[in-house]
Amino acid sequence: MIAPVADILEQLSREAYVADPAIATSLHLAQVLEKPLLVEGPAGVGKTEIAKALSAILSADLIRLQCYEGLDAASALYEWNYARQLLHIRLHEKNASHATEAEIFSEPFLLKRPLLQAIAHSGKPPVLLIDEIDRADEEFEAFLLEVLSDFQVTVPELGTLRANGRPRVVLTSNRSRELSDALRRRCLYLWIDHPTFEKELSIVRRKVPGAGDALAAEIVGFVQRLRRAKVAKIPGVSETLDWAAALVALHASKLDHAMVAETLGCVLKDESDLRKVRDEMEAGRLPLGATA
Amino acid sequence: MTDGDLVARTVSFCRALRERGFPVGVEHSADAVRALAAGTLESRESARLALRCVLVSRPEDLRAFDDLFEDFFSASPEEPQPENRVKFPFPEAPRDAEEPPSLARWLKQGEEGPDDDDPEEARSASDMPALARKDFRDFTDEELEQIERIAARIARKLAARPSRRWKAARRGARVDLRRTMRSHPDFTELRFRERRTRKTRIVAICDVSGSMDLYSRFLLQFLYALQGSFARVESFVFSTELRRITESLRERPYASALRGLRDSVRDWSGGTRIGACLSTFESEWGRLVDRRTVVIILSDGWDTGDPAELSRALEALRMRARRLIWLNPLLGSPGYEPLTQGMQAALPHLSVFASAHNLDSLRALERHLLA
Repeated sequence: MIAPVADILEQLSREAYVADPAIATSLHLAQVLEKPLLVEGPAGVGKTEIAKALSAILSADLIRLQCYEGLDAASALYEWNYARQLLHIRLHEKNASHATEAEIFSEPFLLKRPLLQAIAHSGKPPVLLIDEIDRADEEFEAFLLEVLSDFQVTVPELGTLRANGRPRVVLTSNRSRELSDALRRRCLYLWIDHPTFEKELSIVRRKVPGAGDALAAEIVGFVQRLRRAKVAKIPGVSETLDWAAALVALHASKLDHAMVAETLGCVLKDESDLRKVRDEMEAGRLPLGATA
Repeated sequence: MTDGDLVARTVSFCRALRERGFPVGVEHSADAVRALAAGTLESRESARLALRCVLVSRPEDLRAFDDLFEDFFSASPEEPQPENRVKFPFPEAPRDAEEPPSLARWLKQGEEGPDDDDPEEARSASDMPALARKDFRDFTDEELEQIERIAARIARKLAARPSRRWKAARRGARVDLRRTMRSHPDFTELRFRERRTRKTRIVAICDVSGSMDLYSRFLLQFLYALQGSFARVESFVFSTELRRITESLRERPYASALRGLRDSVRDWSGGTRIGACLSTFESEWGRLVDRRTVVIILSDGWDTGDPAELSRALEALRMRARRLIWLNPLLGSPGYEPLTQGMQAALPHLSVFASAHNLDSLRALERHLLA
């Protein structure tokens, strides 16, 4: 493994983010090539965490734009603070003076939304996390492409704002919609799948230190078997961690059937899945045990 | 390997990927070289990870990438000669005379533009009851325009449910401060906004196996018309395996989109494995289906696979989707009863089981999509 990648791996592990060479390589290249990194994968595998870990190891600020259906430029880029402008005008009327246009269209009246915050950020370039881009509309994707290509924004009343240094951009997607090829072309790509037994075990050990070696291995082994059992809502790593924390809080030292039955709701969030898994366990087809 | 060799090899690797349909452009070749120059050349594995990060952009392509990487950057750098070995011929589709009339005409239309001065065009299918009830089996190429028009009408009507998005309005529930301030800062006139109507998403999964050969041509045309009017129509075709064709249907011009589809459809006159294909859809593409999505399956239900598998896949889809519609052209034949094992397994999970063999049944589909 090359030095910078090994470096990043080590730094990530110091931030309690259990990475693998593929993740470290993409972070390294995002740095070198100055391109946005698109991270895709099933829900709950730690896509968002990557951006957080990245901002920690760069000691840069993290700016997050959570996408949703109907997200538009006014909520992503900037909006004038109309209420405040009106108040300002009224105050001036009372004092029989005039509020000039330049006054009310100046920075104190500008509401900076995440994209503009990232561009107008002073000091070290921040990490910009554009979370769940697949939830935003296709029109927004096109708008985003424009912003990401030159990191400058023109506010008609203020002029053009330009980023001092290029923010590091991480986009995540759960693939609830296929992203456009234009966006994909613009980005580096990282696919994160559900972790292997070993990787997940080390994540649990890192994040829930209260769970002993034996319990952690049993938990991970069971979740890994659940994923293969074709449940409708496949549990992610975050579910594994929730479950581990719950079991630790209940002072469990090893898994038994009663304990699993009581706490299974931490891992499976779908009624038919719960029923199915309970049946499987009763029939002895889903053993408890510390193996993959 | 010298630097020059490396650059040449990387560039031809990019070209090979491009020939296999990867969206890899010139800027990607440059990035690939820069990525390797950034110290990732130390081992084969780190080079693979680096190139993958730069050159792959969707998970379906990861395996194909790894295979090609294996070939290109194998232990002996002399062989193979990639330029000679990696070849994906894309022959011009022959436009022969025994072409199905519908596609031939459609192709022509794509190239020459629609024929506007045909007076027949103004009439709707309801003015021609004979035409409306005619099985697609018996269609001639002139009558295909009707299908396109009805498909377009369905598409327009689907824009019905309110969403969280706002749009400008003459008068409405909420004052739009942004637009008011910009046009009339003194509030002499107000601007309003209202909820945008929300479009239903459609996922269409179309059987193109031998037993459906007769209808697949028409059904693909129908999908194509829907695709053009909607932001969100995902289309798939299957026989023994499933293929996503959303991107190919989006291609312009018409002619090339059709040529590509027609070629792939022609390859697939084997059997059907509905159960397996729908399972694949469920596990790999199920994420495209949500409570706003209407899933349409177009098939005659001659399943040669395991009915239990089909039943499982449909149940899972039904849970995710708003509605699950199965269109079966055979339902239009007098005396047909859905007795095949596949159809029997499917029926309990369907919201709608309807035929799709003529224009009348297509018009009925409007109602199902809007419900």
